[in-house]
Amino acid sequence: MDKDSIRFSPAEQTALKRADSHKNPRRKSKRNPGRSMFIALYLAPALILYAVFVVWPLIQAFQFSMYRWSGLSNQSTMIGLDNFRALAHDDHFWNALKHNIWLEIVIGVLVVILSLVVAHALIAKGSSVKWLRGVILFPQMMSLIVVAILWMFIYNPQFGLLNAIFGALHMPGDQKTWLGKPDTALAAVGIAFAWYAVGFYAMLFAAGLSGIPAEVNEAAELDGAVGLQKFFKVTWANLWAMKRIVAVHLTITVLNVFVLVFIMTSGGPDRATDVLLTYLYERAFTDSNFGYATAIAVANFAVAMVLTLIILKAIGRDPTEARDFKRLKT
Amino acid sequence: MFISSIKPGYEIVSSPWSLPNPVHLINYSKAWNENGLGHAFTNSILICVGALIILLPAGAMAAYVLARYPFKGSQIIFGTFLGGMMFPFFLVMVPLFFLMTQIHLFDTKIGLILVYVGFSLSFTVFVLTGFFQTLPNELAEAAMLDGCNDHATFWKVMLPLAKPGILVVGVFNAIGLWNEYGLALVLMPSPQNRTLPLGIANLASTQQYGSDWGALFAGLVIAVVPVLAVYWLFRNEIHRTMMAGALKG
Amino acid sequence: MSSISKFQLSCKFLLPILVVIPMAISCAPGGGSTNSTSASELSGTEPAKGKIEVVAFKGGYGIDFYQQAAKDFQAKNSGVSVTVTGDPHVWEQLRPRMVAGDPPDLMYPGWGLDHWKLADEGQIYTLDKALDSPAYDGQGTWGSTFEPSILKLGQKDGKQYVLPYFFNLQGMWFDPGVFAKHGWKIPATFDGLLTLCNQIKAAGIAPLTFQGKYPYYLIENMIIPWIQDIGGIEAVNDLQNLTPGAWKSPAVLQAVTMIDTLNKQGDFLKGSVGLTHTEAQTAFLQGRAAMIPCGTWLHSEMSATMPPGAQMQYFLPPMVTGGKGDPSAIAISIEPWMIPTKAKNPGGGIAFFKYLTSLDEAKKFVIQKATLMSIKGSDQVQLPPTLVEPARLFHASKTIYSYIARQWYPAQETEIENALTSMLNQELTPRQFCDRAEAAADKTRNDATITKHHLS
Repeated sequence: MDKDSIRFSPAEQTALKRADSHKNPRRKSKRNPGRSMFIALYLAPALILYAVFVVWPLIQAFQFSMYRWSGLSNQSTMIGLDNFRALAHDDHFWNALKHNIWLEIVIGVLVVILSLVVAHALIAKGSSVKWLRGVILFPQMMSLIVVAILWMFIYNPQFGLLNAIFGALHMPGDQKTWLGKPDTALAAVGIAFAWYAVGFYAMLFAAGLSGIPAEVNEAAELDGAVGLQKFFKVTWANLWAMKRIVAVHLTITVLNVFVLVFIMTSGGPDRATDVLLTYLYERAFTDSNFGYATAIAVANFAVAMVLTLIILKAIGRDPTEARDFKRLKT
Repeated sequence: MFISSIKPGYEIVSSPWSLPNPVHLINYSKAWNENGLGHAFTNSILICVGALIILLPAGAMAAYVLARYPFKGSQIIFGTFLGGMMFPFFLVMVPLFFLMTQIHLFDTKIGLILVYVGFSLSFTVFVLTGFFQTLPNELAEAAMLDGCNDHATFWKVMLPLAKPGILVVGVFNAIGLWNEYGLALVLMPSPQNRTLPLGIANLASTQQYGSDWGALFAGLVIAVVPVLAVYWLFRNEIHRTMMAGALKG
Repeated sequence: MSSISKFQLSCKFLLPILVVIPMAISCAPGGGSTNSTSASELSGTEPAKGKIEVVAFKGGYGIDFYQQAAKDFQAKNSGVSVTVTGDPHVWEQLRPRMVAGDPPDLMYPGWGLDHWKLADEGQIYTLDKALDSPAYDGQGTWGSTFEPSILKLGQKDGKQYVLPYFFNLQGMWFDPGVFAKHGWKIPATFDGLLTLCNQIKAAGIAPLTFQGKYPYYLIENMIIPWIQDIGGIEAVNDLQNLTPGAWKSPAVLQAVTMIDTLNKQGDFLKGSVGLTHTEAQTAFLQGRAAMIPCGTWLHSEMSATMPPGAQMQYFLPPMVTGGKGDPSAIAISIEPWMIPTKAKNPGGGIAFFKYLTSLDEAKKFVIQKATLMSIKGSDQVQLPPTLVEPARLFHASKTIYSYIARQWYPAQETEIENALTSMLNQELTPRQFCDRAEAAADKTRNDATITKHHLS
């Protein structure tokens, strides 16, 4: 019955559904035929626009992966899975994937830690925090092209900010070519990315932190948990929903990083910063091998799905769910 | 960056961190007029606003249904929207070009607006669905008891409640669309239809060959100022919404 | 969100279905037969009529010249309308049009579109017949108005696919003012160069810099000329013809070692390997480096940011003593103009290009844009100062060539450039560079899907 289902909170609904998934009746049309019209009507505009302009071209695009096609004319040859077979043996592909994974782990962790720290600062009281709030999303306001150019300026060996600071502090490493040397290039790009991204995730975490009911925090403090301890035992667990969103979004974003790398290093020097999308771009546009490039994209998509699945399995369910349920019963 | 925009060209590269001497405001008028940025600016505004007008209602409606009226297949639909965030755009560039030419919307503002809406729906639906799921049920129930049908409940009760979330999503989308480059490049080739990022790229590339750094930085400032302005205007709402745990999944 | 995990599961089933079904009914790229030359060639004698659409790369020289020429052409030919559009990334816009079969009538796509692939796939006309038709001003054939050594660069297997318009000389540049101040002289030999570098370093200036982010600057302006120097034009032709072992020849090894020597002796400005072209060129003009490799577009590219008093002058890389090659040889590059086979008004495209390549127009271009043109006699004008030396050397040269393999085999070229970057970062020895280059050439040789070209 619709009325019954509405009384439960969404979390409880999902819990119910999971328990009783086979028995839940279709709410759709049994009681209220007008409802299915409503649903259809409201979904229609978004769904139609999305299907026409996104889904359909995407399906077509994925088909290209089975052809040898230059992308310059309409001439193509069907070659089945040959592109994928070549991909499996392609060192450059695995090299690029390796860099994506490196970024996921190293920069991913860095971004999460920084965002959490900033998030805690964001919800603190005090007037100095207002300034932080005003400034934190500033990087996101710029287009990635501008971010890339800005950081290239900072890393410039002659008049870049970074080398100027090093020089002023008389630290070793002034005049370094951050983006031109293979051992520093990837990290340099990663840091630019982190600068850009932290604001967004800090916002999400701040929202999550302020969503933790005050009683939980008080209870933890009464139990004597303080500082880092409190964080790991209590806060972190309660951030489960936000963790998921951040983890999924960050993973996908890092996997699809393109503009920053492309503009700052073009995947160089000597493929030291090559990532999946820069390699894809090279194959599509420099080598005029669109079919192969699309195969890379399919692989990219597959990796995204796998990683997302892993994250969702790893970051478990709502630990507060059971508690709500209990409250309801009493 | 701001300082550089008022310097004459060669000073920028010789002493990038110093204050300008003399102040070279002509860079701004150069960028606006000579390089067509003024025109591109207007185009960008038209397109962004146009896209938002379609995107926000469509997205909100869909998100509302997906959040509160689960049915068989709604998960798949939600997932499909989500999947849209997972691929690079130049993959679909060629099929999209074909499509737009076939329906005669190529190189038109309305065509680009529709494409932008399509591509922004992923993020919008993703966020708004989560948002709607957290709104209290009692209000909807009360509205129903008062005799509202589903439509009225949405427009009169739930949507106004969702204003902060929609605002936030709107601002983020606006910024993303304002800065969007790739799709506009392929789908809007004629100079008079150019959006601002294209205009700046044009300026930057010409600059690369002509090294007019001053005008370039002026152009960058012109591009960034509206974004900052919008963000500054709405910053309180944005913060409040995020603080209110509106994005709890 | 549980909704996400459900999506994952459903996708496992849906995605394959979604891929297979549309394949049967969609408009995927049609598997057409390859047609390398179009059935009918252009006569080149069609009078201009109707609408002519021209799309050109908007680079350092802009498109304003072509637009003005379009206006003039319209005035001279009633009933004709010519539109010229362009963009710094014009190839992105041209690409889908080529695929859709809706190209312009005359196009200059810049460096982002593989025109040799277009030729392979029959997407551009061969222009030999058109070149035999009368020139714009009626004096002789159109083909005879071009410098033959430059015209040749637009040919594949003896057929003319693209036409040159302006062309660039590759070489090196120094600031005569700076050199005069210190009493330096451009050396005639490589050994002299090494000595000069030491003198320059003593004055606290970096002798050389280069556009590290784009290794082809070093390759085309210094390495290839040095290979020609040491091993003669045959050594360069071997490279371009994918002759086995060409990249391990003594000439190549020596030329690359010369770069390595300069690098190890610290003759390059620190950080050069990561510099973009504007950054490196700016460093040169600001006097932080004394010499730089670049094409003859240098002045037009940097004129807006040249510090007051800076000058530039062209010179050829110093010879290697005892080399087999022609000391007067010059490497050049052209920018290709072409007529797509699916153009609606190809005759119009040719007519307009004939006008653009007429002697008067060519002379105007030389003066306005400060670059040399492929039209004979176009430099018989008051040349801008930076063009004087290149023009003189060009006319005195007995061997004009171009490292065109870079366009033929882009994947190989990427690998060679990457290897050079690693060598400049001292991760590879010159010998290892040669090994990698040879391996890349091997890969190209053995890949049947890559069309091979041959220098005649």
